[in-house]
Amino acid sequence: MNQFIRISLPVATAALIYLGTGCSNKSDSDDSDFEPFDNSQDMADHFAEHSDFFHFLSPSDIPPGLEWENGADLQEFSSPEAKKGGIYRGSIQDFPRTLRIIGPDANGSFRPYILDYNLMQYAHRHPNFTEVKEGGFHFFPGVAESWALDYEGKQVFIKINPDARWSDGEPITTEDVSFSFYFYQKEHHKQIWYNDWYAPATNYSHITVYDDYTFAIGLQERRPNMLNLVLELVPLPRHFYKEYGPDYNQRYQWRPVTTSGPYVVRESDIKKGRSITLTRHKEWWAKDMKFWRYRFNYDRMRFEVIRDSAKAFESFLRGDLDAVKLNLPEYWYEKLPNDSPLVTQGYINKYQFHNDKPRPTYGLWINSSKPLLDNNDIRIGINFASNWDLVCEQYFRGDAIRMRTSADGYGPFTHPTLKARPFDTDKALAAFAKAGFSKRGSDGILVNEQGQRLSFNVSTGYESLKDVLTILREEALKAGLEFRVEILESTASWKKAQEKKHEIHFSAFGVSPEMYPRYKETYHSERAYENAWTEDGLPQPDRKLKTQTNNLQLIAYKELDEMIEAYDNSEDVEEMKSLAFKMEEFLDQDASFVPGFILPTMKVGAWRWIGFPDEFSVKISDEVREYRLDWMDEEKKKETLQAMKTGETFEPIIKTVDKYAPKSN
Amino acid sequence: MLRLSPITAKKLQRFREIKRGYYSLLIVLTLFFFSLLLELCINSKALIVKYDGAYYFPTYSAVRLGSDFGLQGSDANIPVNYRDLKVEFSETQNKNWVILPPIPYNAFENNAFNGILRPRPPSLEAMHLLGTDTTGRDILARLLYGFRTAIMFAVIFTFLVFVFGIVSGCLMGFFGGWTDLAGQRLIEIWSNIPFLFVVLIINSIVPSSLPVSTRIFILMIIMVAFSWMGLTYYMRTGTYREKARDYTAAAKVLGASSVRIIFKHILPNSIATVITFIPFTVVSGITAVTALDFLGFGLPPPTPSMGELLKQGVASLTIAPWIVASAFTSLVITLTLITFIGEAVREAFDPKKFTIYQ
Repeated sequence: MNQFIRISLPVATAALIYLGTGCSNKSDSDDSDFEPFDNSQDMADHFAEHSDFFHFLSPSDIPPGLEWENGADLQEFSSPEAKKGGIYRGSIQDFPRTLRIIGPDANGSFRPYILDYNLMQYAHRHPNFTEVKEGGFHFFPGVAESWALDYEGKQVFIKINPDARWSDGEPITTEDVSFSFYFYQKEHHKQIWYNDWYAPATNYSHITVYDDYTFAIGLQERRPNMLNLVLELVPLPRHFYKEYGPDYNQRYQWRPVTTSGPYVVRESDIKKGRSITLTRHKEWWAKDMKFWRYRFNYDRMRFEVIRDSAKAFESFLRGDLDAVKLNLPEYWYEKLPNDSPLVTQGYINKYQFHNDKPRPTYGLWINSSKPLLDNNDIRIGINFASNWDLVCEQYFRGDAIRMRTSADGYGPFTHPTLKARPFDTDKALAAFAKAGFSKRGSDGILVNEQGQRLSFNVSTGYESLKDVLTILREEALKAGLEFRVEILESTASWKKAQEKKHEIHFSAFGVSPEMYPRYKETYHSERAYENAWTEDGLPQPDRKLKTQTNNLQLIAYKELDEMIEAYDNSEDVEEMKSLAFKMEEFLDQDASFVPGFILPTMKVGAWRWIGFPDEFSVKISDEVREYRLDWMDEEKKKETLQAMKTGETFEPIIKTVDKYAPKSN
Repeated sequence: MLRLSPITAKKLQRFREIKRGYYSLLIVLTLFFFSLLLELCINSKALIVKYDGAYYFPTYSAVRLGSDFGLQGSDANIPVNYRDLKVEFSETQNKNWVILPPIPYNAFENNAFNGILRPRPPSLEAMHLLGTDTTGRDILARLLYGFRTAIMFAVIFTFLVFVFGIVSGCLMGFFGGWTDLAGQRLIEIWSNIPFLFVVLIINSIVPSSLPVSTRIFILMIIMVAFSWMGLTYYMRTGTYREKARDYTAAAKVLGASSVRIIFKHILPNSIATVITFIPFTVVSGITAVTALDFLGFGLPPPTPSMGELLKQGVASLTIAPWIVASAFTSLVITLTLITFIGEAVREAFDPKKFTIYQ
């Protein structure tokens, strides 16, 4: 029996590990552990050292003739019917590992609640009015009261709203603005991306402070989205980060951030490993401002840790959670179908909202530095042998549409006609035959003269999408191609791709709603190889792969590099567009990316007492909660709970808002 | 002809008398041999095709393309779908025909249900006797192919565990002294290495470019490496005991070599105790591979397995209860049958029945 116990142990151990994580209640950092620290001197030194970047002038130096704007003529997108109050109950998969908004572990799934969806930028891009104008998109004010674009001078002037306050009541001033650059440029937060982005020579050329409320930020290039690059920055509370120094990551680990936004985290609401609650700041300075009123309606938002999504869904059905995402077809159609009693009785409402924005690039990323995959014909064959159409139609039940290029959803910057290759076994076989694979082995997989099998490893970190790969695998066998499916833990899978050890990788890059796609990060040869070229412009014979970059396809073409550089230096929208189209065509020929699918809707199930604006219209959002337009009707909640006892029913609501439905191909 | 010692014959006789265990053994053996012929019963490849006067037996032959059977268009260049071929042949008025296995699906193909890949309830009409899983794969096929993998895995696993356990136990018991001391310490240290972490680590470094069978084999080696220790204790004490008996001394005096003494004299007399562990080891082999699959560290997808089915079933408990029901029931039945055998073996081999201590 000893044997039996020994081998059954893994199950018990695994359960223990699972329960064991995150349950620690010991605070990693207690404020009393740290010596008081003041970074004022260091900051002054930093400003002095970079005096060509940090300029301090007087109000009389503001150039005359600036055209100040404040987006006042834009339309509001929230609903005046929204009611304030109530406690929203939601779930998170993992307890945040820190409350810092920057630094190690800060990029977790809780980040949006304290950073992206909560913090106020100088100005925010209007989520629906997405036309492009000189300097960028249309903005409505956040911390800034107004702003002015100096197109020729490559700088943006900003006036901070004098009413703007931090959550502890301190005014927001230009000191917080210049501090934010000091904060990012220093390395204490240990996130190199920020050092790089905010470095004096990269994107920004200078910051000029005129008085307590007026400043200007200069840019290196005259890019078409200059306004975005400046207005979408956030000021950081100077007084809160007074102790920002080399031990920042430990010292600030669990300090709730002083914020410009509506929700704050109270120390007493952090129940480590279990739940975390956000509380609405009753005296929030922007609560009656246009574009900000009628939003952020819940008094409190409580997020309980539920690791398993199936379990979170059951909690929702029990009424323990107020709303839940239903994006996977299994949930929308099977687990909460339209004829489920909770829906037909009107207790739970189902909504789907279309969005239109740059799409996460779900698809197969082919490593073109690997043997066989370096052959263009084989890559083209793989494109024809991947049956994404079937995945869209039968797995996603038509809710997903086929991605056309790796830069879908950028409006005028997206190629107007280019399409991904359809599933076509004949064309796939023809392409493989061209590469020497024309005979089938006894198992049906193609082999070439040397006896090599046409078989590749497809790795992914998406456990929940593994069915997609097994479907692709079965279909590809028809064309004599074998995909060996490898499901990895998500960090391990990402590491594998970053080290360029993958053959084919199924993954997606998340993209924010920017004006135009980025090409350099994914397609420039300098992101593929160290010293890619010889002096004559030929590929170095023994060039070394470059790891930790986003060029997962190991694409390296001199011609493409030139286009990318021209695109990145261009100041003309039309030229950028035509370059973008040319590059897409080039990449399509290269065929080392197999475009997968896009999901054009956000689906959500919510109890009857959760309200959404009639025309839930935030075009560029991919998260229903991003703009916080929803609210709780406590009257309705009482009514519904009462009705559930007495058996009274309501009109069922199954609503689709397709105002922003993108035209399918 | 195998000559059994009277005592062994008696034990087997006794085993046969324990009906529950005996019939369980018969059922398990039948299932096992049946699973070896699974390709003939559950398969998408036809048993016999008659086309243009010639007979084809595709079950065990190389993949055939559509053009072999006169299909046109793009179907000509891809592997034949025999179900479609059967429909096509029956629609045309010629003498071609196809005989399909009773259940005409393999364990991998995704069969859409009303144009959608979703779980389909058990259906006699579509010959999905236990329904399909979340991506439309036949559950019966996945279950039986999964059972075959699991039982094969468990049998080979048991064999290897016994070989290692018995050999090392015997060596420690027979030579004693430093061999024993070192062996015991090694076992103590080795048993303290957490098995699951080793599986995790090895799993992450095994290149997935290796064929599935190799990866399964590696998993087995890891499991064997962490499972042989238990047996050594019994073999070691058994060997110590037998070594002290007069017949061993006699053999030694007659000049028999250590190898001869171990294998001819000591082993046959001490092995009886460990024999009773065989069924339980098989059970633990099946449980372990199922548990690992359930946790996602087992056989690489899309290999059919009971653990994977169980996992799927739990995730879609409310929408497709037949998945978890099939997987759970078959797992319970398999394990119960083998446990019955184990109990019967233990009872039949109980030394108290045949010896009298004085």
